[in-house]
Amino acid sequence: MPLLAASHVTKVFGGLTAVNRVDLEIEKKTIASLIGPNGAGKTTFFNCLTGLYKPEGGEILFDGQPLIGRRPDQITALGIARTYQNIRLFGTMTALENVMVGQHVEMHSTTLGALLRTHATREEERRAIERAHELLEFVGLGGEEDTVARNLAYGDQRLLEIARALGSSPKLLLLDEPAAGMNPSETEEMMALVRRLRDKLGITILLIEHDMRVVMNVSDQVSVLDYGEKIAEGTPDEVRANPRVVEAYLGPGVHEESGDGRLPRRKPVTPPVSAA
Amino acid sequence: MADQEPLRRGIQIGLIAFAILTYAILIGIPIRLGAAAFPVLSALVALFIFAMLRRPMKGYPADRPAISIIRQAVTAGLIAGALVAALIWLFTSLMADGVRLQPIFDKVVPQNIAALHNVSPGAIANGEVSWTSPLLQIGMMALAGLAGAGLVLLNRSQGADSLRARRIPGAKWIVIVLPFVLMLFVIWLGQPAATFGGAHKGTVRLLLAMITFGSGLFSLRQASQPRERIIVGVLLTAGALYMPFTLDQFQNSVMGLVFIFAMMGLGLNIVVGYAGLLDLGYVAFFAIGAYVYAFISAPFSSPFITQQLINLGIDPNTPLLGFWLAMPVTMAIACVSGALLGIPVLRMRGDYLAIVTLGFGEIIRLFMLNMAPLTNGPRGLLRIAPPAFGSFALGSPRYIFLLALLGAGLIAFAAYRLNDSRLGRAWTAMRDDEDVAQATGINLVRTKLLAFATGATFAGLAGQLYAARQVNIFPENFTLFVSIDALSIIIVGGLGSIPGVVLGALALKGLPEVLRGIDEYRIVAFAALLVIMMIVKPEGIMPAARRKRQLRRDDIPVEESPGPNPDSGAAASLEERSS
Repeated sequence: MPLLAASHVTKVFGGLTAVNRVDLEIEKKTIASLIGPNGAGKTTFFNCLTGLYKPEGGEILFDGQPLIGRRPDQITALGIARTYQNIRLFGTMTALENVMVGQHVEMHSTTLGALLRTHATREEERRAIERAHELLEFVGLGGEEDTVARNLAYGDQRLLEIARALGSSPKLLLLDEPAAGMNPSETEEMMALVRRLRDKLGITILLIEHDMRVVMNVSDQVSVLDYGEKIAEGTPDEVRANPRVVEAYLGPGVHEESGDGRLPRRKPVTPPVSAA
Repeated sequence: MADQEPLRRGIQIGLIAFAILTYAILIGIPIRLGAAAFPVLSALVALFIFAMLRRPMKGYPADRPAISIIRQAVTAGLIAGALVAALIWLFTSLMADGVRLQPIFDKVVPQNIAALHNVSPGAIANGEVSWTSPLLQIGMMALAGLAGAGLVLLNRSQGADSLRARRIPGAKWIVIVLPFVLMLFVIWLGQPAATFGGAHKGTVRLLLAMITFGSGLFSLRQASQPRERIIVGVLLTAGALYMPFTLDQFQNSVMGLVFIFAMMGLGLNIVVGYAGLLDLGYVAFFAIGAYVYAFISAPFSSPFITQQLINLGIDPNTPLLGFWLAMPVTMAIACVSGALLGIPVLRMRGDYLAIVTLGFGEIIRLFMLNMAPLTNGPRGLLRIAPPAFGSFALGSPRYIFLLALLGAGLIAFAAYRLNDSRLGRAWTAMRDDEDVAQATGINLVRTKLLAFATGATFAGLAGQLYAARQVNIFPENFTLFVSIDALSIIIVGGLGSIPGVVLGALALKGLPEVLRGIDEYRIVAFAALLVIMMIVKPEGIMPAARRKRQLRRDDIPVEESPGPNPDSGAAASLEERSS
């Protein structure tokens, strides 16, 4: 049974169908990628998965549980965590505290317990701090525990978002453009980290990414969205060879114009595949 | 050319100082100061120039030559001096000619101008003021400019933050010991033989008592080692608890009010400072606490409750519950009403939330005004019972102050623990980014309602004590201004900072009482003080460590000193536990 099974997911904004009958299945402990030109509906699809948007149609099963209709915090408790395209940390809190907020669903201390600082609460806090240290160490932020999040370097903020997401011990981690704005060596480290997430922690990963080196390097499975519809799916090599994908990114060639009135498409952010 | 800009700035500062001086003269402050009027005004100008010049000018190095600063400051002093001397001379000559200015400026009387010249009022009318007097005034203002420059240079030579004790060895201990010295001084002033301050001895003592409390908070913050902290904390607590027994009735009464507002501020701080929910109707819960306790302890004041009790065969002329047993009832009712207010505003943020809560505060007040059968309307609830131990009544200002101290301490303790917990982190996360907080697994409904309910509970407790202090309460005690006072307290003190709230309460509820000396202008003077305060220290008197870094980015390098940082309560306690 796949960990995530989305079928016919549809999300409409006014007259715009941002996500149109998208099916997506992700097997456990794989790395899946979601690619497509800007505005293809990738982040909207993420928001449908995490409960920020309520899809108009379709069904999403996670680990056998339906997701549609649940609140974001309930979905997080089920085991889905995410990062954001434009980094959204809790800016005034330290790195350690950010990860501890990430552990919110894992902790159970009550208001009364916090007031009386009971033994159970203190134990839980101690374990949470320990775990936060481990997670920061894992993503490579050891030593930055007490730095206020907004003062971290850009790349480190991306790493902290991942550490915070790991706090809830997710089964599925959604990464929205984790390598955006990174230089080549940081991108290498990010790819290594994504692989380690799967291999060491056994986490299933779905990522949105424009950097095709990342996508082609780490993915077990690639799905391509265009105009809210899934136009291709398969291994990186299969997707790379698919003419519809090339068309979506580069626009139809002049002699291939199908005459359906479609204008040439927008420019790709990153050339998807080498011309060869 | 390079010096054009500093000079222009000096002239600007001089003009502003002149405006302030004009204002002070027009409202008649020299009358109160008497012979000391002009020297005191000069000293104020010196402080003002220092405040304006203490930060490096934009585009100029922090260590620009001393002569440049001196020239700038003296220019400011000369400008202010020349203008104010001209103004005073104008008044003087008009008065000598028999022109009466009082119908236009009611405080511009010979007495006022005479104080500025340090002559007798008769001399003004007779035109006997020497022409050297304006020159002397200009000279004093120039000296004030020089003094301001001196302060700037002194401040600079000790680093940007000369008050930060770890830079000067020994200063830390001065800060720690200061409240105890002040305390001894306050106690000594209480002796009938002590004559310090003359006729104003009581006011001086009140001011000193407030400064003692303020310095106590700084003292606690300076004690960095855990053991130091415990010792200093215990000593300070003992000192604070002794304070009510040395102050007189009026002083205790003022301090009691200050700490009741501190209790309320601490509660509001949870809602606004921690959870970021701007609540302008906070007075509602204060009112609910007060009225519930009034219903319980003075049921005969309410026609409706009296009738119900008679129907039940209970004597309405005695309190239903004592102060202590009423406490859980008031707190529970305030808590529930906090949660009830929370439900309709769950989806609102920022401005919208502020407007709706503002409405709620007014609804409660109007309810109390108009539900005469229950609340006795504008005639209020009367003869509310004081707290008591057995037959020993604790209704005097002394014990109300003591109880307010204990209450504020209790609430501060609870707020500290809640903030330093899973719930507190959820509040901060929600304040920083509500959507992401929810996607990180935080139940927004629960977290928001807990913030509203906790804040309301504390306000209810403060309200109960307030009712006991006032004995009689009326709907007019619970206007919008109480909400605004509470909000100002936490903003002035520093949002999210527990000691900041107490400092804010001392400054906002205590200072106006001390300023009674300038009677009808005290609120205006106080407003000016607030404006200056928000310009000079926008993050509050004693900001929470994290917030400070948020508002003043240019200060960050100064903040990042190695070693344990006593400023960051949460971070420090994390360190303690992890080591």
